[in-house]
Amino acid sequence: MSRQAQSRPQPTTRRPADSEGQDEICPVCKSSRYLTPTLRFLINPECYHKFCESCVDRIFSHGPAPCPIPGCHKTLRKHKFRTPTFSDLQVEREVDIRKKVGAVFNRREEEFEDLRAYNDYLNEVEDITFNLINKLEVEETEKRFKAYQRAHEREITENASLAEQERASFAALQKEEREQARSRREAARREDAEEKRQLEENRRDVLNRLASGQDAESVAKAGQQVHLKKRMDRAAAAERQRQLQAASASNGSGNVVIKGLRAKQKQEPEASVDPFGGLSFEGRKYYALQDDYVWAGVQETKADVLIGAGGYDVGAFTGRALCEAFAGLGVFVGDEMDERDREKMGKENDEMATKGAEVAATKGGNAAKGKVKDVKMEDPF
Amino acid sequence: MATSPAFDVPAEPPYKRQKTSSEPMNPSSPAPVADLAEQLDNQERKKYVKGKKIGSAHLVSDPQKLVAIKKIKVGAEVKAFGISYDSLREIKFLQELDHPNIIKLHAVFSSKGQNLNLVLEHLPQGDLLKLVQDTANISYTPADIKSWMLMLMRATYFCHQNFILHRDIKPNNLLIAANGEIKLADFGLARSFADPFQPMTYNTVTTWYRPPELFFQAQYYGGRVDIWSCGCVFAELIARDVLFRAWPENEINMVKLICEKVGTPTDDNWPGVSKLKGYVTPSEVIPIRSKDQWMMGFRAIGETGVDLLMKMLTLDPRKRLSAEQVLRHSFWTESPRPSRLEDLPKKGGGIEAMGEELKKKGGELPNGSARGDKIARKIDFGAMNG
Repeated sequence: MSRQAQSRPQPTTRRPADSEGQDEICPVCKSSRYLTPTLRFLINPECYHKFCESCVDRIFSHGPAPCPIPGCHKTLRKHKFRTPTFSDLQVEREVDIRKKVGAVFNRREEEFEDLRAYNDYLNEVEDITFNLINKLEVEETEKRFKAYQRAHEREITENASLAEQERASFAALQKEEREQARSRREAARREDAEEKRQLEENRRDVLNRLASGQDAESVAKAGQQVHLKKRMDRAAAAERQRQLQAASASNGSGNVVIKGLRAKQKQEPEASVDPFGGLSFEGRKYYALQDDYVWAGVQETKADVLIGAGGYDVGAFTGRALCEAFAGLGVFVGDEMDERDREKMGKENDEMATKGAEVAATKGGNAAKGKVKDVKMEDPF
Repeated sequence: MATSPAFDVPAEPPYKRQKTSSEPMNPSSPAPVADLAEQLDNQERKKYVKGKKIGSAHLVSDPQKLVAIKKIKVGAEVKAFGISYDSLREIKFLQELDHPNIIKLHAVFSSKGQNLNLVLEHLPQGDLLKLVQDTANISYTPADIKSWMLMLMRATYFCHQNFILHRDIKPNNLLIAANGEIKLADFGLARSFADPFQPMTYNTVTTWYRPPELFFQAQYYGGRVDIWSCGCVFAELIARDVLFRAWPENEINMVKLICEKVGTPTDDNWPGVSKLKGYVTPSEVIPIRSKDQWMMGFRAIGETGVDLLMKMLTLDPRKRLSAEQVLRHSFWTESPRPSRLEDLPKKGGGIEAMGEELKKKGGELPNGSARGDKIARKIDFGAMNG
């Protein structure tokens, strides 16, 4: 192992030529693969220095010991040693780090509502990964990593179990597919054999008939017809089978999960409650209500103790009288008809108009309806 | 039409009606309202209308849309007296009112024998009383109560704005739509606001929900009678029991109960009450119940809720809040927010249940006790002028 690799990982230092020569020599005992073809190298994810199997046995069998590479003061344990997957140990280390980061930052695309948020998240993950790999701001990055882990403990385990489930179901699916393919092949083979057998049978039948002295031509024709019919039957059966499979496949596609961003949910801040539900009777344009009217009828009513004690509201009466007097003013039936017709064009399934509206339209003096102004009925609150 | 400079009046129509019925002259427009009956599938119409007081039917034009048909039998007495006041009032006022919280009357048609059939909105979810009474299976939150009450108050406000007194507000007249909306139904006792010095009957509103001024036989009253009933419904929703459950159910007991639970009406807290015809001088005077006492029974709804409840159940109708004032109360806007429709508890009842609801005469309670002779429906028509 080169000195360079000990001090700092330099991705560029690794060249195929390197691994051919130096990498085949154990840096501790200097035994090389050339002399001992059974040589196996092991690494420890603490420092990614590699030693041959026998050195690991020799040095670490009696418990933890410091890394024998000069300048590396990591304490290594034997049970952590493993065979490297990649010959390039930088790649090995990067993969390990990515695994570790990925186990914590395991949010899925479905969890995000827009692409921007998802990309920001990916960027953050990559930042942390890059820093860890290249040993930049290690402490600060570790802190960020730990903080995230603590804050999202629950989601992390949830997503992990979800991923586990998916893996399991995917494995099951693959197994099933293999099973199906096998049975299909089996069926095809059986069919083939069957066809051959029938062909043979047919020929024997023809020969027998010829032997028993029947007319050669008709026998040959009949035999051909039988053969043709059987083949047609088989073709039809195969076609049916194919259709069945296609149908089941399209059924199966129903539970295919389409990955992607979560469906956008508009999280509008809830509007404050309007107790009147959008209903407003502030449409008086033709008159103004006064608190008091100097008119004998009104004054007398107001003065009557009996009427007051019963809760009769003179204001309601005057309001109604005025409303009814002015109701229908400014209502142009013709214009409304036109407008309605326009609406109807756009909205075919317009519900029935209320009878009340009709009454109001015909009798202009009908107060109740004339007063209602553009009430938005669909708004529940 | 040009602007009138004298009054500075804009030329555009000030009021727009939400919907207008189509006129027969225009052949391209869909069938007008009056023909709705024709849209009903004849088969179904026959099937459902026959023998039943209520049934459901699909519209031919839109088979997805269900309607309920309420059949009013017109018997021999029609020849002598005409159609009953209940039916007349119901048809008259429901035709006028178009509000999401009021049951919609789509059309009226007559079938053979001159029976009247009302085509009503289909409300299969039963009524509010069922929810209140089913303490075992249904539980609801203050937010749900607020949502229901808000819908009820909107309906009441809408009626009053259109100068209509409902006069029979109670939980079993509050039907629940499929989407959870509350619909005020049964306008059999409704009437429009009276002119000054035009007496109205005091023998109206189901006894338990009747305001004190009617027990004192006031003949001149206004929208506040409905507010008292709404207050009773409010209290009933919170406590899940009728607030003034007088038993045996007569007026004396009711007055006694109101004195006990709200306070004795005197000339001090209700000026002029002693002049009312039916006022009886009380032997002992119970002071008006304080807010703390109210809080004891209705803590669940919170302080603002109790404040609103007290103001809705004020003895003096002049001091009682109007429907508009109720809606302006801070109770609605403060937390918790009224439940959304889809979150409200529901209890399916089906068309039969709706039939039961609509079959009931006003002033009848679901426990079926024969109470009709004392109240509501037995109205002194002479005094009505309705």
